[in-house]
Amino acid sequence: MNRAFEAAEISKSFGALQVLDNVSITVNAGESVGLLGPNGAGKSTLINIIAGYEKQDGGLVTLDGTPLDDYAPHVRAQMGVARTFQAGRLFPQLTVAENVALGALGLGLSGKIARQRSEHVLEVLGITDLEGIPAGGLSHGSARLVGLARALAAQPKYLIMDEPAAGLNEHEVPALLSALSKVREETGCGMLLVEHNVGLVAQACSRVVVLAAGSMIFNGDPQAALNDEGVKSAYLGDAAFGSGH
Amino acid sequence: MTTRLRLQELLGPILLVVAFSYAVGLQSAQGLLIVQSTLALFVMVLALHVFVGNSGVLSFGHGAFAMFGAFASGIVTTPSNIKEHSLQLQHLYPFLVNLNLGMYPSLVLAILAGAIVAGLSGLLLMRLNGLAAGIATFALLGVAYNIFFNNNRIGPGSQALLALPPFQFFEEPVVLTVIVMLAVYLFGISRAGRTLRATREDPLAAPALGISIMRVRWIAFTLSGAIAGLGGAMFAHVAGTVQVQDYYLPYTFMTLSMLIIGGGASLWGATVGTLLVTGIGQILLMMEQQKPILGIVVHLPNGTRAIVIALSLVVMLLWRSDGVTKGREFKLGMPKLRK
Ligand SMILES: Nc1ncnc2c1ncn2[C@@H]1O[C@H](COP(=O)(O)OP(=O)(O)OP(=O)(O)O)[C@@H](O)[C@H]1O
Ligand SMILES: [Mg+2]
Repeated sequence: MNRAFEAAEISKSFGALQVLDNVSITVNAGESVGLLGPNGAGKSTLINIIAGYEKQDGGLVTLDGTPLDDYAPHVRAQMGVARTFQAGRLFPQLTVAENVALGALGLGLSGKIARQRSEHVLEVLGITDLEGIPAGGLSHGSARLVGLARALAAQPKYLIMDEPAAGLNEHEVPALLSALSKVREETGCGMLLVEHNVGLVAQACSRVVVLAAGSMIFNGDPQAALNDEGVKSAYLGDAAFGSGH
Repeated sequence: MTTRLRLQELLGPILLVVAFSYAVGLQSAQGLLIVQSTLALFVMVLALHVFVGNSGVLSFGHGAFAMFGAFASGIVTTPSNIKEHSLQLQHLYPFLVNLNLGMYPSLVLAILAGAIVAGLSGLLLMRLNGLAAGIATFALLGVAYNIFFNNNRIGPGSQALLALPPFQFFEEPVVLTVIVMLAVYLFGISRAGRTLRATREDPLAAPALGISIMRVRWIAFTLSGAIAGLGGAMFAHVAGTVQVQDYYLPYTFMTLSMLIIGGGASLWGATVGTLLVTGIGQILLMMEQQKPILGIVVHLPNGTRAIVIALSLVVMLLWRSDGVTKGREFKLGMPKLRK
């Protein structure tokens, strides 16, 4: 059996609005895949379906061959699929250290292991100094990194990130990139990186899938995506294309 | 609101409760009564803190667990000859007439009764959120009330169960209360307590970390049911009687007010809220009864106490919904100046 995370032929409508139309995406174990698309392309909806927060109208999500349809979001997380949220969704009154520790506690790990993991992940992301701050008081960029740290504390098999670089400054983006490659080396976790920014995905991912208006318009090498006519026209007028944030 | 054992967070509230108990309780017979009933109410407030404070889900149903605890403990500690001869107990199941336990076994029974009722009802109730959960727990209180009010096979029905044995020693309810405080604190720093607070902070994010909201809420609900059972039984033994009305709306309202005014999220908040409401309540009561306070007699109309507590609750909910302690744990030292 192929060790991979797969969303196959996913369709989803909200009322009359078709948000996803027959979208398929596979992340092999240890692989990093980018998911690109302009605003409203359906990226977050796909993540919500994968994580069990929304139910698809058609198609199947599988983890290493096991269909996930019957599993609630918390079970999918325990099976090794971690996600971050576009809106951050940290626990505002809890400290950064506690937020991150909860990524391990939620899986049933002991308080001691959770603390060790929290310390380690904060160090990898270079945000140890934030440890004691209540998450509600963080800057936007820091909150993004803490959200990522919280997901990493679970040591997932597959990590799905919803625009982790949005709102990061020019120092934070490279830090994020190097942290991601370090995590990949350390844990071999497969990654699905949802982004607006083609340049960023090109650096972090070996393959990219492009969504536009709910359909898949490209699947392949990131550099080729930059030159693809279909991708270009989907992004026409979108300032994020090809440039930094 | 804490994640690991910090001794002062535990000892601060405990010292305050013990100091209050000795300072007030050894003064007079009336002081003793005030202390003992306050401690019994406090145990109930702690029960509410475990569930409501940590989960953020309101419960109006905990009076039901207190009822079960009070009646379970009461019916087995009322002497058999009284059970035989009391008019209101004529229809009691015969095995209950003959069943006699000591105070402490009866308290264990009360804890079990509260835990079982909470555990079973929680299987359904914990599927609900927000307003629906509040209303459903309220319905549970109504069900329990009607069970005890109308069923004279298991108790005195609408009448009172009399002649419950009191605590023998002053220290007994104090020690019981301290043990409950310890249990509540340890729950707070346990994995279940910490993940439960995460669900309170963001119920959408928590499942993404593998947390089953229903499961952690159920654990807390069952534990808090056990503690409420004990609180109800303590209240019964302090009063010497049990009547179902004693655990109904005023009891529910009073204990929830104590929790919310103090700050539901912390042990410190539950402690401060209980003592504050008790203190203010006592002063107002003396005024209602035209007793002198520091030599001055102020006359307030009857019911002032209830109105003031209700208004304080409204004020807190409006302007400081996390209570006078802001839901923080006890911490020595000066409050930090704002940056
Ligand atoms: N629960 C919902 N009900 C109705 N419409 C929805 C819902 N969720 C998303 N949509 C719509 O579906 C479309 C896709 O939204 P989605 O959030 O998946 O896009 P996205 O690719 O993540 O966009 P962005 O880059 O802005 O985050 C949008 O038009 C959005 O308005
Ligand atoms: Mg999105």
